[in-house]
Amino acid sequence: MKLFRKGLVFLVAIALLLSMAACGKKASKETSPTPTVSDSTPSTPAEETKEPVTIKFFSNLPDRSSGQGLLEQTILDNYMKENDHITIEIEALQDEPFKQKFQSYVASNNLPDIFNVWGQPAFFEAVMEKGYAAELNPADYASYNFFEGSTTDFSYNGKLYGLPRNQDITTIFINKAIFEENGVKIPGTYGELLQAAKDFRAKGIQPLSINGRDKWILNLFFQDLVIKVSGNQQTIYDASTGKTKFSEDPDIRKAAELFKELVDAGLFQDSFVSADYGAAQNLFLQEQTAMFYMGAWEVGMASNPDNSEHFRENVGLIPFPVVEDGKGKITDVCAWNGGGYAVSASSPVKDEAIKLLNYMMHPDNWPKIGWQQGLVVPGQKYSDYMTGEENVLQVQITDVLNTATSMSGTPWNDFNPGDWKANVENYIQEFAAGITSVDEFLAKLDSAVQ
Amino acid sequence: MDRIRRNKYVIFALVFPGLIIYAFAVLYPIFKSFYYGMTDWKGIGEFNIIGLENYKKVIFEDKVFVTSLINAAVLAICTVLIQHPIAMFFAIIVDKLGGKLESFFRAVLFIPCVISIVVTSKMWVNVFNSSYGLLNKFLDAVHLGFLKHDWLGDQHVALYSVVFVIMWQGFGYAFLIYYSGIKGIPEELFEAGRIDGANSWQQFINITYPMLKPVILVNVSIAITSSLKQMEPIYLMTNGGPGTKTQFVANYLYTQAFTAQKYGYANAIAVVFVVICLITTVVVQKIFKPRDI
Repeated sequence: MKLFRKGLVFLVAIALLLSMAACGKKASKETSPTPTVSDSTPSTPAEETKEPVTIKFFSNLPDRSSGQGLLEQTILDNYMKENDHITIEIEALQDEPFKQKFQSYVASNNLPDIFNVWGQPAFFEAVMEKGYAAELNPADYASYNFFEGSTTDFSYNGKLYGLPRNQDITTIFINKAIFEENGVKIPGTYGELLQAAKDFRAKGIQPLSINGRDKWILNLFFQDLVIKVSGNQQTIYDASTGKTKFSEDPDIRKAAELFKELVDAGLFQDSFVSADYGAAQNLFLQEQTAMFYMGAWEVGMASNPDNSEHFRENVGLIPFPVVEDGKGKITDVCAWNGGGYAVSASSPVKDEAIKLLNYMMHPDNWPKIGWQQGLVVPGQKYSDYMTGEENVLQVQITDVLNTATSMSGTPWNDFNPGDWKANVENYIQEFAAGITSVDEFLAKLDSAVQ
Repeated sequence: MDRIRRNKYVIFALVFPGLIIYAFAVLYPIFKSFYYGMTDWKGIGEFNIIGLENYKKVIFEDKVFVTSLINAAVLAICTVLIQHPIAMFFAIIVDKLGGKLESFFRAVLFIPCVISIVVTSKMWVNVFNSSYGLLNKFLDAVHLGFLKHDWLGDQHVALYSVVFVIMWQGFGYAFLIYYSGIKGIPEELFEAGRIDGANSWQQFINITYPMLKPVILVNVSIAITSSLKQMEPIYLMTNGGPGTKTQFVANYLYTQAFTAQKYGYANAIAVVFVVICLITTVVVQKIFKPRDI
């Protein structure tokens, strides 16, 4: 009997251990397919047997049915149609979740084969420096007509690691009908912008929508003000790098005072601090606000059939207004090359991913299709693709770009790596929400400079 | 069979898998976090060991961390003083209803807990919106326009708006625990009370409340610990804004890791946070246990 009991105990113990081992085995089995794919692919390029290849694509454009997302999807679909053996697996998240997921991919050294990047030190510099992005051959892009300087922020130590997709520029989208119906002048100067805010508020209309919850847009708005006050694109960068001080530069102080004046006048919509991108844009699309402060990547609004005809007929854009006694001209603009693509250096299908990247950014694809369908303002020369059927926003933004006398480059909140971005974005949101005064705001900015 | 159950090997074999899982899923990550907390790791590439620098900063210098703890305390106090009495009140009322009405209200009151936090948070963001939100429109309609606020953007009310939503979301659980506690009180006690001429209030004070005490204590300690751990509603509603007015620890460490890219520092926050949670739990248990249960 004793023996039986001991035997039973032993059996129970063994059974438990076995069940655990079984679990372990299962897990290891599941992970095995990935290495086999990587083993087999390097041998394929030589022979043209076209073994199936899967490319993982990580995008920051979750809306696949309009704007840039539609363009990206169209090109990827075309590529798969032309190359039967290629399957592209797309994972798309909005900017902030994208950045977070990107970080965890990097931390686990498990980046997708091709991914969106922002050509900004705060985001891309460390990725290039630590060798996570594959080096690209600049000669491949000699005929791609990238605007001069647009690949600078995608390069590190003279080597190219990514390609920009758009020419980004801040602008104020306007709804002409709302301005006309209420007899408000479309602002060309700061004073007129302030007056417009007051006039609209007096009529119970929210003047301008902005996605204050996302914070970065407030930094851009502030940068636009600094440019128009100082007339010097370097002013805000000098303070950001510690060459000058935010609290001591008279132009920056003036810009902060103007910013506060606009907030106090109710320029931004109610609850703008808690409004995200979609909420802010919706107000404008539903014609609830007269203006919308955003980047040129939204030019597709004027041709998107989902928007009402009345809206599409009345939408327009204006460059950021000049400040009456400021030194900045209307042609000094806040513009940069932000979004783009890079390929993972450790991708098992690196060559295929680079081929796909080259296909996407080929002059016949991203710039041509994107421009002609009114979806983007490409980072490549697009004057050859003018059809005369451009939507009104495209025409107006081209005008702004062609007449620009100076461009800012990387937005100031993205200018320094590390926690600079998180800090200055918090500080401007506090300032915009009325928590801090001009003095406190500027002092906090100085404290963020290391 | 009894001897088998008492056999040390069997006990070991039964407990061992659980222990292993606990060690790898809880203890190991905490130690690993402690280690990373001593580095200046930015999430990318190599890092340096910088000793207890991060920990010192979290405990002595980080104002946002302190704000987050204060916010958690505000939430805990509001939960205990506002949500719980109401939940208990409803539990007593629903218990008295009986029949179909009882199961109807039981279900209705529990609904917020069943709906995804993403959905409810986004719903409240819209309710609170100052221009098209339901709340301000309602205030206007009942001529209380002077009470209108930018509920999530105004630094003075944002925290309370968030606290309200978290209390609303968690109401069902608090209610359910009280409700089941009340159901567990033998009916004879009430009957005896009634025979002795006790009115409803006397019944509550002399029967329900003393019998419910253990349940109250469990509920309160759950409320306090869960207040410390809040993350999703804050991330979804304000992301800590305006500025850092509605920041909570879990969300703060998340932004430090993923927005500021200070992984080392975020790990230090996490470890300090674990210690604070442990201390709070022990203190709460100590305060309540010996006398009352």
